[in-house]
Amino acid sequence: MAKYYPGTSKVAQNRSNFQDPEYTLEKLREVSDEDVVNILGHRAPGEEYPSAHPPLEEMDEPDDPIRELVEPLDGAKAGDRVRYIQFTDSMYFAPAHPFVRSRSYVCRFRGADAGTLSGRQILETRERDLEKYSKELLETEFFDPARSGIRGKTVHGHSLRLDEDGMMFDMLRRLMLNKDTGVVEAVKNQIGDELDEPVALGEPLDEETLKNKTTIYRKDGEAYRDDKDAVEICQRIHVLRSQGGFYPE
Amino acid sequence: MDIEIFPHRLLNTDTAERLLNDLDSLEGIRRMVIQGPRLTPVEEGGPEHRTMVLKGEEVTIQVKPGRILMEIDSEEIIEEIREKCEENIPFGYNIHVGRFIRKQKTVSDTLKYGEKLEEISEEMVGLTDQNAQLGDRAKILKRKKEE
Repeated sequence: MAKYYPGTSKVAQNRSNFQDPEYTLEKLREVSDEDVVNILGHRAPGEEYPSAHPPLEEMDEPDDPIRELVEPLDGAKAGDRVRYIQFTDSMYFAPAHPFVRSRSYVCRFRGADAGTLSGRQILETRERDLEKYSKELLETEFFDPARSGIRGKTVHGHSLRLDEDGMMFDMLRRLMLNKDTGVVEAVKNQIGDELDEPVALGEPLDEETLKNKTTIYRKDGEAYRDDKDAVEICQRIHVLRSQGGFYPE
Repeated sequence: MDIEIFPHRLLNTDTAERLLNDLDSLEGIRRMVIQGPRLTPVEEGGPEHRTMVLKGEEVTIQVKPGRILMEIDSEEIIEEIREKCEENIPFGYNIHVGRFIRKQKTVSDTLKYGEKLEEISEEMVGLTDQNAQLGDRAKILKRKKEE
């Protein structure tokens, strides 16, 4: 079995699980296809996919052995535009975080481009494939409605203290906790445009579950230094990098 | 001396109101600053409930209470403050001792208020950031009359 992440802690195991395409992610909520399209905000539900180029079959492509070897994505075959989904993950025990997301995306999603920043993480691919991947990301343990946010812009908030009700700070207030039902609702799409109908994203996970599912080492959770195996591998990589970079005459 | 109460989560208006009213019962707190990120305007989806009743007076808050800075008379009171925090902040907090509120008038104050600076009492110094109008941000709550 492939080893995806060093370490013996729960956090290390969770990181491996996300990256391992053989591992079946736990499904925590149902989000309909239409709601995913609404949250993404790239097109109206039911609307045809706008295209960036004609379908590949109609295009006169030059002979190329690689084109024969690699099966194009459905979206590429149809000539879809490239679109994105972007997440912000709170430092307070969010299930995922940017680097783990990127590593997992390249392991799990074919033809997807991942971009990592300190407080946010973007996934870019052809529109119809993006919708498929987004649905998976929103429905499974990658996402917690209180500690993760779907934020195309104005992403600030991952390192801020949480609100009293456990929600991550969001300047645009896209996800709101409905106090009557206890369910988090998306009232705006990822770039902050109002939705006609709020999209229910389920109840936030409790602190105990989050600490079990998190991929973030924290002193008040599982500290990185306590995971001797992970530290050893990290140090070994640093040493080898330095020695490899050293070039004696 | 100054102390800072640093709750581990941003407080909502009700919790902050309870905490501040509880702290009010203690002797030896001279002045207080509530600091935090600004509340989103109501029309942009911000919370509608943003008034607190402190000492019987209604105070509109403009920020989400993230830190409470206090000038206190002596160190002894910190334990009492800690008790009040313990009751009102269930998710944890820190209390830091230091210097958090400015005590002296500065050149910037002179530029801002000009000759009127003399009229501003020492108690009002350092309560807001330099760009804000003092009247918009600071509120004087009268002490209870001794019976």
